[in-house]
Amino acid sequence: MVGGGRSVLERSPLHRLPDRLLKWGLTGLAVAILALIAYFFIRLIGQSSSTFNQFGLNFVFSNHWAPQANIYKAAAMLVGTLITSATAMLVGVPVAVATALYLTEICPRRARTPLSLLVDLLAAVPSVVYGLWGVFFLGPKLEGAERWFANTFSFIPWFGGGASTIAPTNYFIAGLILAIMILPIVSAISREVLSTVPSEHREASLALGATRWEMIRTAVLPEARPGIVGASMLGLGRALGETIAVVLVIGDAPDIGKHWFDQGYTLASVIANEFGEATGLHRSALFAAGLVLFVLTLLVNIVARMFVTRSARGKPHPPLDGGQLMAGGVV
Amino acid sequence: MKLRRTSLVAVIALAAALGVAACGSSSPSNATGSSFSATIDGSGSTSAAPIYAQWTLNEKSSGLTVNYLADGSGAGVTNLVAKTDAFAGDDPALTPADIASFKGAPVLEFPVAAGAYTVSYNLPGVNSGLKLTGPVIAEIFSGKITKWNNSAITALNPGVTLPSTAISVIHRSDSAGTTAGFTKYLSDVSATWKKTIGTGKLVTWPVGTGAPKNAGVAAAVKATVGAVGYVEQAYALENNFTYAAIKNSAGNWELPTIASTSAAFSGLAVPADLGVSTINSPDPQAYPIVSQTFLDVYQDPCKDGGLNANEAKGLYDFLTYALNAGQKTMGSASGDLPYAPLPAALQAKDEAQLATMTCNGKSLA
Repeated sequence: MVGGGRSVLERSPLHRLPDRLLKWGLTGLAVAILALIAYFFIRLIGQSSSTFNQFGLNFVFSNHWAPQANIYKAAAMLVGTLITSATAMLVGVPVAVATALYLTEICPRRARTPLSLLVDLLAAVPSVVYGLWGVFFLGPKLEGAERWFANTFSFIPWFGGGASTIAPTNYFIAGLILAIMILPIVSAISREVLSTVPSEHREASLALGATRWEMIRTAVLPEARPGIVGASMLGLGRALGETIAVVLVIGDAPDIGKHWFDQGYTLASVIANEFGEATGLHRSALFAAGLVLFVLTLLVNIVARMFVTRSARGKPHPPLDGGQLMAGGVV
Repeated sequence: MKLRRTSLVAVIALAAALGVAACGSSSPSNATGSSFSATIDGSGSTSAAPIYAQWTLNEKSSGLTVNYLADGSGAGVTNLVAKTDAFAGDDPALTPADIASFKGAPVLEFPVAAGAYTVSYNLPGVNSGLKLTGPVIAEIFSGKITKWNNSAITALNPGVTLPSTAISVIHRSDSAGTTAGFTKYLSDVSATWKKTIGTGKLVTWPVGTGAPKNAGVAAAVKATVGAVGYVEQAYALENNFTYAAIKNSAGNWELPTIASTSAAFSGLAVPADLGVSTINSPDPQAYPIVSQTFLDVYQDPCKDGGLNANEAKGLYDFLTYALNAGQKTMGSASGDLPYAPLPAALQAKDEAQLATMTCNGKSLA
């Protein structure tokens, strides 16, 4: 027995010191993180105030980015950030969840570890490599497909019928690159979440005559949904904030694109491109872009958290609360 | 921060060692063989980065470690003002606003080399030497000419079959000395450009796709058929680009070569602070888009720049190397860096200026 056979309550206060240290140490670290986020927020507000004094909410809702004329209105970057991240989620999350399902439910046990490792390895590729791959390979190779897609679905607004204007680098390519970049994190966490679904649920479902697909649909996915949403939110956080890869594949044009295959800009990439040499109002405007990105990420997290709590309601023990996952990472 | 810088420098040095400067030319300058050792930091111009990478390698054996971070001319000046670096690589000469940011501390700018900005294009079947005039280039980069077989281009190039491919303009999206030089040239030759777009390190482009750094523009030009972009000659040669011959102010067609780049120096009035501009040179043999690259230092790096005496000596030695043995690393022979070395007259003026450098009032010479 630990502690010389005596219960912890019988021991002297001195013996409980490690416990206390642990408690205070961890509390301190947790508070430090919150304080750091609050400090970021205050600094961002302070540094960007001259921009908001000058342009007000026009900074967010109207578009004209002209550093040499000292005019900074960043709607195009905001729109670009939203479009590329949405594209990344639309493409990346289903693939990531499908990968996780395959690895936990279908894949032979022996191949599971090596395959998981390969998926995780995607996270180790530097983002500039993804960006250059997008410029040299994905962009040129997909041009035909994009044109076909734009023409076939030209009846849907904003899908870019009349495809002569397809840009070599555009929102769609940037979204695809981001989809690949969020794949490992979403897939890895989904895998963990899926593997915590009690096997009794699977067995019960199969015993009732369900096929494998029905088992996944009725017993596994509902149980794992909050965790998968949480995983997706971590992925979204990465997509919203990615700089170097996006800088290379979005075209860096401070205009709101006319369609999905047009070029644009994102908040994170304009900061990466221009911050190095910015002074005065320009610098403040880039801080303002950072603030908008910060608030955007926060809003997305709050909405996602509400979504998670709602979908988890009435389920006694969700395997992993997506909210807990998110609190650690995105902001 | 320090760690990131160091690793970046390592990456740049490595890239340079593998790439442009791989062919390393002149032997390392074994200055004295003494046990002198110093480390100096610099940052700035990406156009001149291959030069600094080569010089850094060559100077290593004389005990001098130079860390050069190619993060843009403006960043270089900012770092010099902030005293985090001993020198700045700067592409156009210092502007009055730049000089004001030093708050009265005397700063010296040394012209160290000149480089040509190519107008590179990706047109399979069309070789280097497509003839373009300044005004036509201005119309291409402002989106008025949209196809390669536009009559304005074909009229200049009888006998060349040009495809009807759409022109994809590629420009720098980060703040860049290269953009400043290129737009200064276009403002010189086109009144419309001057009025609507103007000159600057960051301008509002009416058309085209942005890409970061010389390397990003080079990558985008390489990947896009029909693309045209402005890239420093070293990057154009490294990527085997085809580039235009441009009509200079005397009416001659000039390709960017070391000879035509050097020619841009002649016939220039050199101002007292040596802040020459080689853009659109009057010389009849000059390539018109040649940019001067400068090395900026404090006249008294100990008093104003926060260096110690040893570092100041290292900086002085590095400048001495740059103005003498360093010049011989550039030229048109194979293995040379593809930049134009200084003409003798300007080099002499640099030397005279170097002699005025001090450390806490004591001459470094």
